[in-house]
Amino acid sequence: MLMFATILIMSLLAVAVCAVAFGAATRGEARSAAQPERRLALEPPRFFASPAAKTAERSLVPVEMLLSQIERHVRLEQAAAEAYLDMPTRDALRSRTTSPLN
Amino acid sequence: MASAQPDLVKGLSDEEMARFLALGVTTRLASGQTLFRLGTEADKAYLVTRGRIALTLPLQIRGKEEEVLVEETLPGETVGWSGFVPPHRFTLNAAAAIDSELVGFPRASVLEHFAAHPNVGHTVTRNLAAVIGHRLQVFQTMWLREMQRVVEHKYS
Repeated sequence: MLMFATILIMSLLAVAVCAVAFGAATRGEARSAAQPERRLALEPPRFFASPAAKTAERSLVPVEMLLSQIERHVRLEQAAAEAYLDMPTRDALRSRTTSPLN
Repeated sequence: MASAQPDLVKGLSDEEMARFLALGVTTRLASGQTLFRLGTEADKAYLVTRGRIALTLPLQIRGKEEEVLVEETLPGETVGWSGFVPPHRFTLNAAAAIDSELVGFPRASVLEHFAAHPNVGHTVTRNLAAVIGHRLQVFQTMWLREMQRVVEHKYS
């Protein structure tokens, strides 16, 4: 009887120790899984500007510069189209120019 | 003129060319002066004899309309062929990029001349078709290239 009680107490103790160890281990994982969300919400993005910043940046570009970029794009595209018409190939149709608007 | 024969009269004999060119009315434009506006009635086609004509399209940029250059026409080249092609409305804006001179051919006089000289009509119409066809092919290719980029951008 005494032996049975000892085994029972030891088993319960082992189960309790395992439960505590498991709890400690999973608590760490749960915290690390929750952290990125908080960081995303709180920290400003480092590598890409936010949409608002992009809009502000775009509106800073003078209209004259935009027009000149568009006209350069049209000229380059026209030249690429002429080259395609001289020698029509699939590659020529998909070729990229140096236009910043591509 | 840059080339021996302007694109519109290629293939005509000297005599035929002289008679055809005599139908034209010379127009001089100072730099920046408008030749025609998009949507207006087109009753003439022009041959550039000096200077440079800028063809532009209005584009909305930040809520404001801006003229964007789409093509430049040089001496010896034809501009405003909408004057000969129904529905006879200009589809672009045209203005002199620098001081320029053009010869305008009124549709009515030209058609009358063609009726009297069918061979001239045939040659000039063929030349005009080449000018229009080239513009169509260039813009079709530009559109295809743009579509290719849109598809790549949206679906890849």
